[in-house]
Order: sequence, then structure tokens, then C-alpha cells
Amino acid sequence: MSHSDTIPLHPSSQSDIDEIENLINASVQSGPATVLPARPPSPPRASIPVSSTPFIQSNIPLPTYNKPPVVPAVVPAAVPPPLPNSSNSSSTRPSIGTSGFGSQANTLTEPVWDTVKRDLSRIVSNLKLVVFPNPYREDPGKALRDWDLWGPFFFIVFLGLTLSWSASVKKSEVFAVAFALLAAGAIILTLNVLLLGGHIIFFQSLSLLGYCLFPLDVGALICMLKDNVIVKVIVVCVTLAWSSWAAYPFMSSAVNPRRKALALYPVLLMYVSVGFLIIAID
Amino acid sequence: MDLNQPAGENYANPKTCFFHVLFKAAALAFYILSALFFDSFVIIFVVTVVLAALDFWVVKNVSGRILVGLRWWNEINDQGESVWKFECLDQESLARMNKKDSWLFWWTIYLNAVAWIFLGIFSIIRFEPDYVLVVGVCLSLSIANIVGFTRCRKDAKKQIQQFATQTIASRFSSTLQSAFSVV
Repeated sequence: MSHSDTIPLHPSSQSDIDEIENLINASVQSGPATVLPARPPSPPRASIPVSSTPFIQSNIPLPTYNKPPVVPAVVPAAVPPPLPNSSNSSSTRPSIGTSGFGSQANTLTEPVWDTVKRDLSRIVSNLKLVVFPNPYREDPGKALRDWDLWGPFFFIVFLGLTLSWSASVKKSEVFAVAFALLAAGAIILTLNVLLLGGHIIFFQSLSLLGYCLFPLDVGALICMLKDNVIVKVIVVCVTLAWSSWAAYPFMSSAVNPRRKALALYPVLLMYVSVGFLIIAID
Repeated sequence: MDLNQPAGENYANPKTCFFHVLFKAAALAFYILSALFFDSFVIIFVVTVVLAALDFWVVKNVSGRILVGLRWWNEINDQGESVWKFECLDQESLARMNKKDSWLFWWTIYLNAVAWIFLGIFSIIRFEPDYVLVVGVCLSLSIANIVGFTRCRKDAKKQIQQFATQTIASRFSSTLQSAFSVV
């Protein structure tokens, strides 16, 4: 197969092996030579042109492939992989004959802009799931299925920067302390839940604790702009309550009900200390 | 038409290679040179860590795909367990990957990690815990990429071997069948 500037998607191995076997069997059968017709040209298996300049969005011929990457397991297996049944699998799959390999190879050859958009939309959706009221809060395990650490990274850095900006002296130390406190705190809180015998995944919990910082970020921003102590106290209390409410279902569902308080108390403690940091900065 | 120049002559994806190296070099250079220009630790920290994070994203999502045809990520399945997924291009495309590209890819990620280790040792010797924090973050990002891609490559080789043995086995069995049927 000659391709000008396309990388062929990996064809479904099973169908190829079947074809090869059919050809071999047909050619060996004695009797009237039933010559199989020449192998028909491959059905449009979406040869997606690889853009040589990766930062230019290329026109993908089959736009239906651009969906959140519910990618089934690994590649050249002879058995078509089972499609995972997770929450963001979208509705229609283009019927091209290769079951899972379409979307899978697509993430390998998609243009860069698509990856960026996909990651950004994932951050936004994770934020909405964690911080804002939504129907998925009943089942926390499903909600943060697609964890990512970019959101928490932005929020921690933003909080550190805001605190550092508000501080009139020792700006560097404030930033370093805030960053180290939040990062180490998130790791230690996760270890706490794991040691209490809870079922939580390390990165998922880090991601969650980072996203729950969003209200405190908002509070710190407001406090930076408005320097009145009373306003600060009120704002910090409100955002603190919001953060704790956001973190509560995930943390509490991860542990044994008798140990819920043991898991939740350190989380509250960390957020309270961040709140104090926000109020006390001047 | 031969799209890929004969291996060893030229990079097939110069822009990607450039960006692959750019962010790493920028993070290292900024970290090393910033002490001369900036007094504020905050700026050094934020800029270095942001550059390192951008580099991590570029390597994981862009240059890994384009230069060596590998990709790795983590998913959480329905039972709530975390599963590491690895993905690679099919064998023909892998064989067509430019050798120079993949050489550059692997060597730069290893050298990057080694450079950060050196810088970390320096800052430990000089008793600067703030800078150890920066180095720690950058180092963990580069090590994450190294581990991810190495496992992905091993997985890809395993898959290719399995595929090859299956194809050979099925052909072998059908040849045997045909041999017996002729007799």
C-alpha cells in the first residue's frame, strides 16, 4: 500500500488473519480453481493524514472520531478489545468494520490542537463535577473517573501566587510555604485515607483535593482585592465551607463509615489552615 | 514516492524535535541562569515549574506520538481500579519511524533527568531547600515520562511478538492442513 502522507490505521488483525487464511485455503483447494477475486481495496479505514506541522489544525476527514478518548486496551491484539462502558463513551461509533481500533489509533495521529482541546475540556468537566452541585455526587467513584493533575496544578500555583501577591514582605517564602503545604498536605491526606483502609486511588485523590481548592482560590482573590478584615473573614468562611462540602462525599465514601471522621478531619484542618493563611496575610 | 528520507540523513519531524528539546532546555537554562538575574524565588519557581510541566505535556502527548509512535495514560475502570494503558502504532508504521527522531527522543529525556539530578545534588550541598523543591518537581515529571514510555515500549515489543507468533502459528496450522489434504 502506498500512501503519500498518510499513516494507515492499524487494520483489524482478526479480519486480516481471516483474509489471509481464506486466501491460503482457497488457493490450495484442488478441483476447479476458484480464484478469489483480488482482495478488494480496503474499506475506508480512515487514513488520517498526519500533519507534518503539528501545530496546525488539519482537516480530519472523519470528524466523528473526535470524541473523548474512551480507548480500549492495547493494540495489535488479535482479539478485538472489549469496549469499556464508562461514562464518557459517546453514542454512535462509525461503522467501519474495525471495532475499537478506529478511535484508538486516532489518538495517536490526531493533531495537537485536538489534544489540547481535549485536555482543557477535561479540566473544565472535572471542575464542574467536583465543585458544583451535580447529579453525579451520589456516586463519587464514577465522578472523577478521568482524573487529571493539570487543574490542581493551576489552582495550587494560583493560590500561592495570590497569597504571595497579597503579602507585603517575604513574598518568596509565602509562596514556597503555600505550595509546599498544599502539595505535601494533599499527599499526606491521601496516605491517611489509604492507611485507614480506605479504597481510593492515589492520583484520583490528589486530583480531587486539588480541585477542591478552587473555592479557596476565589476567596483568596477576593481577599486580595478587598482589604477589609470583616469581609475577609466572611469570604473565607463561605469558601471554606464550600471547599469542605465539595470534598466531603469523595472522602467519606472511600473509608469505612466508622472511620469517616478520621479521614475527614485532616482535610478540614488543612483547608482551615489555608483559610487562616488567607486572612492573616496583609 | 519515498516520504521518509533514508534513515540517518535527516530528521523527519524537525518541528516536533525542536519543541521536544525546547522546553527542556528552557527549563534547565532558566533555572541555572536565573540566579544571576532574578532575586525573587517565586518567579524562578513558577517559571521553571511551568516550563517543566509544559515539557511533560509536550513529550507525553505530542512528541511521544509523533517521534516514536507510543503513548501511555492511566484510566480508572468500572470497578474503580486504576489501569495503565499503553498504545503504539502498528508494526509497519513503527518500522518506518525515523531512527534519528527516536534517538533524539530517548536520549534527551534521559539526559534531562540526569541534568536535574545533578542540579538537585548541587542545591542539597548548598543547603537551599527552596531550590530542592523546584528540582524535585521537575525531576518527578521527567521520571514519570521516562517510566511511562519505557513501559510502553516494552509493552509494544511484547504485543508485536505475540502478534507475530500468532500469525506464524495460524499460517503454520493452515499450511499443515493443506499439506495433509493434498496427501
